[in-house]
Amino acid sequence: MIVDVNSYLGHYPFRRLRMTGARAMVEHMDAHGINVALVSSLNAVFYRDSHEGNRELFEEIRPFGSRLVPVATVNPKYVGWKEDLADSVERGGAKAITLLPEHHGFQLADERGQAALSRIAEFNLPVVLTQRLEDRRQRHHWDIAEDLTLASVIEAAAGHPTLRIVFSNWIGLDGAAMLAAGLRGRCLIDFARLQVLMIKDVPKLIDTLGVESIAFGSHMPFDYLGPSLVKLANLAELYPEDYDRIAWRNATEFFRLDLPYTDKS
Amino acid sequence: MSDRSPGESRREFLKHAGAALGTITLAPQLAVSEPVKRSGDARRWSDGVGLPNGWRQMQKIDAHNHVMQAVQQPDADWSAVESMLEAAERLGIEKLYCSRPLTGGVLAEIDAVRAANDSVLAAMRRYPGRIEGYCFVQPGNGPEALQEIDRCLEAGMIGVKLYNQFKYNDPTVFPIAEKCIERRIPFLGHSAYLTDQKTLAAQPRTSNALEFGELSARYPELMLILGHVNGGGDWEWAIKALRRSNNVYLDTSGSVQEDDTIGRCVRELGHQRILFATDLTMEGGVGKILAADLTAEQREDIFWRNFQRILDRRTT
Repeated sequence: MIVDVNSYLGHYPFRRLRMTGARAMVEHMDAHGINVALVSSLNAVFYRDSHEGNRELFEEIRPFGSRLVPVATVNPKYVGWKEDLADSVERGGAKAITLLPEHHGFQLADERGQAALSRIAEFNLPVVLTQRLEDRRQRHHWDIAEDLTLASVIEAAAGHPTLRIVFSNWIGLDGAAMLAAGLRGRCLIDFARLQVLMIKDVPKLIDTLGVESIAFGSHMPFDYLGPSLVKLANLAELYPEDYDRIAWRNATEFFRLDLPYTDKS
Repeated sequence: MSDRSPGESRREFLKHAGAALGTITLAPQLAVSEPVKRSGDARRWSDGVGLPNGWRQMQKIDAHNHVMQAVQQPDADWSAVESMLEAAERLGIEKLYCSRPLTGGVLAEIDAVRAANDSVLAAMRRYPGRIEGYCFVQPGNGPEALQEIDRCLEAGMIGVKLYNQFKYNDPTVFPIAEKCIERRIPFLGHSAYLTDQKTLAAQPRTSNALEFGELSARYPELMLILGHVNGGGDWEWAIKALRRSNNVYLDTSGSVQEDDTIGRCVRELGHQRILFATDLTMEGGVGKILAADLTAEQREDIFWRNFQRILDRRTT
């Protein structure tokens, strides 16, 4: 069983993606042995009213039951965002909330960002913080988003000691700094852009933050699934006793998923 | 699964955590040299989920990689090289074709260039049959650059690697291209079509695919390889720009792992112009070829046969 914690549905304005709808996503998952994916709306990144993207997402994935788990996107600069957040959880079934400070024009540490983090913590949901959607070296000239920095996350998280944080699509994470910031036990890191072999970021993070901090993530449909599947196969050899945790159990516990599968091998 | 105890294998594994790190038409459809098959750990590690059966045992040659440390001295730290080789073993990559370019935008003295190449030569000597070398040169070093190519080829290197000291349509580069033609060796070039102004400002002389095309049009017999289509920059632009440059190969390496780069390359350029490479993104480099929509024959050509055809041209 594999749960992918880093995936999207919808259109990206600067590049054609091969899978934009839920049916194509599920077929792609079936072809590559992925059982469940936590999905965010790409449309919600770019719509002025992000919640309209959430609503599209909830409708789109409904026929596919627990195969696709919604992650709602909240823009704390937009009117009604608190109601939208509540609606996402209560009617949409969102299991986490994505904040996009670079795309929505705020800082995690400013008044808007702090209010959003507080509200997410009150709902006892994880916040998903994505370092980047795509490499800046190929950016469209309308794309001005910079990569999130670990320092900004640590600074913003300091005032929310119970908030759980998903580090999605990151590289360059400093495990020692995260440990010192008290993030061990309340962070989940997907390895879409990390390496198991060679520079060994994933084993180093496991050493520092514990195996419970690592989860499978692919960044589909932006990226190929193959790289993350290769890394998972390598982790299966290096951490055979922890394979289930990395492949699905950490994600299931962190997002508090109630999956109907009985065979989780 | 491995037969070693997990704790023991993990400790051993982390001990080696290294530093971050026209007329030549496409190769003739003749018999191709077979790479030496290795029998290492790739045969003991399992395939995992969602990947083709036996993927670790599929033959692979990495056409673009690097020796990341200065290892020419007797007391050198080999950890990064060892980590690279360990990864290659796990991923079933038989050979790594490596260089050690000088980066940072300066035109270095020839002694620094020689020292960089000496590191690659030291790695070739230490790991024969596993690490092969490209000779890094800077066209601005003039005749000394050409002499350095001869020195490196005599010591066993197989090609030339250029970085971004000069655009490849700059006449300063032409003697290097002519030397490659004379010696029948490939010319691997750093490439990108950079759309980010900060990166562009740091690498103003990085060549894009159209500039590779200009060099190829001037020297159609040159075995020219556009390096790392996924190494940062607009890869869609690069692939489109190469459509009319039939003699430019392209390697698949780079840290970007975007769907559907490989499929787009094959559709636009034909699979025989595509060379598997990692440029240090080794799991990603293998994974995207495995996940691409390819026939078994196309995948095999990309993983090793297309590059082997280039290497075979040196002796035919």
